[in-house]
Amino acid sequence: MYVDPRPPSISSASEATARGALTVNDLHKSFAIGGDSRLVLDNINLTVKPGEFVSIVGASGCGKSTLLRLIVGLDAEYSGEIRLDGERVATTSLDRGIVFQDHRLFPWMTLQQNVELALLNTDTPKARRAQIVADHIALVGLQGFEQAYPHQLSGGMAQRAAIARALVTEPKLLLLDEPLGALDALTRVRVQNELQRIWMAQRSTVLMVTHDVEEALYLGDRVVVMAPDPGRIRRIVEIDLPHPRDRRAPLLHKLKDEILAELTAAPADPANLVRLPGREGR
Amino acid sequence: MTALLSRPAARILIGLIAPALFLSWWQWQASAGGAHAFAFAPLQSIGAAFVQLIEDGSLVTDMVATLSRSLAGLAIGGTLGIALGVAMAIWHPLDRVLGPLLNAIRQVPLIGWLPLLGLWFGTGQGTELIVVSLSAFFPALLNSYEGVAHVERRYLDIGLLYGFTAAQRFRLILLPAAMPLILTGLTQALAFAWIASIATEILLSAGSGLGVTMQLAQTQQRLDIILVAIIATAMLGFTINHLFQRLRRHLLRWQPSAL
Repeated sequence: MYVDPRPPSISSASEATARGALTVNDLHKSFAIGGDSRLVLDNINLTVKPGEFVSIVGASGCGKSTLLRLIVGLDAEYSGEIRLDGERVATTSLDRGIVFQDHRLFPWMTLQQNVELALLNTDTPKARRAQIVADHIALVGLQGFEQAYPHQLSGGMAQRAAIARALVTEPKLLLLDEPLGALDALTRVRVQNELQRIWMAQRSTVLMVTHDVEEALYLGDRVVVMAPDPGRIRRIVEIDLPHPRDRRAPLLHKLKDEILAELTAAPADPANLVRLPGREGR
Repeated sequence: MTALLSRPAARILIGLIAPALFLSWWQWQASAGGAHAFAFAPLQSIGAAFVQLIEDGSLVTDMVATLSRSLAGLAIGGTLGIALGVAMAIWHPLDRVLGPLLNAIRQVPLIGWLPLLGLWFGTGQGTELIVVSLSAFFPALLNSYEGVAHVERRYLDIGLLYGFTAAQRFRLILLPAAMPLILTGLTQALAFAWIASIATEILLSAGSGLGVTMQLAQTQQRLDIILVAIIATAMLGFTINHLFQRLRRHLLRWQPSAL
């Protein structure tokens, strides 16, 4: 008899098959800038196991946000291969959720409507949707704010709402594109803890891009360190510490110093200062 | 002091200071005699004209006629303007075909079209309604176009992520995102329709309406009636604009500070 080793998730419909195995093979991506073609991702190879939390750090312009846009399917122009559970990524899908640095909640909808819209084109029965939405709003600790409009929420609350919207479809793979980049330091720590708690409860595969090495180490099972111009993987660091983690763990601090030294040692290439169009997706 | 001034009763009183001063000055001019007395009808004769127009029912008839002409024009021109503006913003071929023509037409003030429209459609109430509708059409068109054309990419991405159909994209993203500008367009359309109603009534004198009465009173040199019609126009315009702004605030209650 098959026994699911993962803790029970909110879902009752989780498949018994492997959920959210991501493979990226020989991925190359270029942007055309004024007639020139500029390589932004150079031979990316990455495998993420189901249920794994992988962080990506790197200097601005190393193509990490571009990589997420490709994986989520908002940009299909690349060479190489991206597969989720063996299936080739060609367009967006409810299997893959994403949270951006800006929450991107619709200002004209309440928090509840914003979360519910993610279920619009799923086969979730209409009768169950309200309950699922309420569960996910509770999961990110926003009970009581269901009828609030986004402008009435603080930055941290809006970002948690965006996380609830991304999770409500129970994506196999959750992509986080600097989700906490716009938050102040205190809120950031709080939402990091929350993110860790939610991930431990849900155990979906997570790929998170961040500027913050400490955040990458605190949350990730592995940290992918990228180098810029063209964006490529410099190294991948395993963090062999169980979750939930203690921020004061000596290993995290040692690795942080190491990675920071590596990132700052890279020669400052003036070409990096050029902002790539479309990189931020707005 | 500031707290006292911001109380509702105080605000209304303060708002009445300027009109009271203006009326006193008016009355003083009217009693100065000579040519002045003709150009400035004394307040009591304006009051008498008001009573007379109320009693024979013509003031109410005129107000209803002008108001319904404006609102009908707003409904026709506003609806067509929004529909075409949205369609042009969504479907670019339409924009390329119609954009230049519409922009050219727009350069001629509406009253400039009146002689031509008069030849085509006569000088009756139908032409009045066409001019009023046209005046509401352009602000509704331009603002709806801008609103839909400039919906932020980041919101459209969300629609892509959750597999929105074209209809969902329109109903849940494009339309609400464009709503602030669509309503700005309708606010302008309302003002233009109101101006066009009075202007065409004065110029064509077809049917009844405040402008028709103004024109008639001018030929009869009844300054008091002209003034009653002007005051009624001001009050009615003020009221519908106020009601529309309340509707707008309600529709845009999701905005940080609804304008």
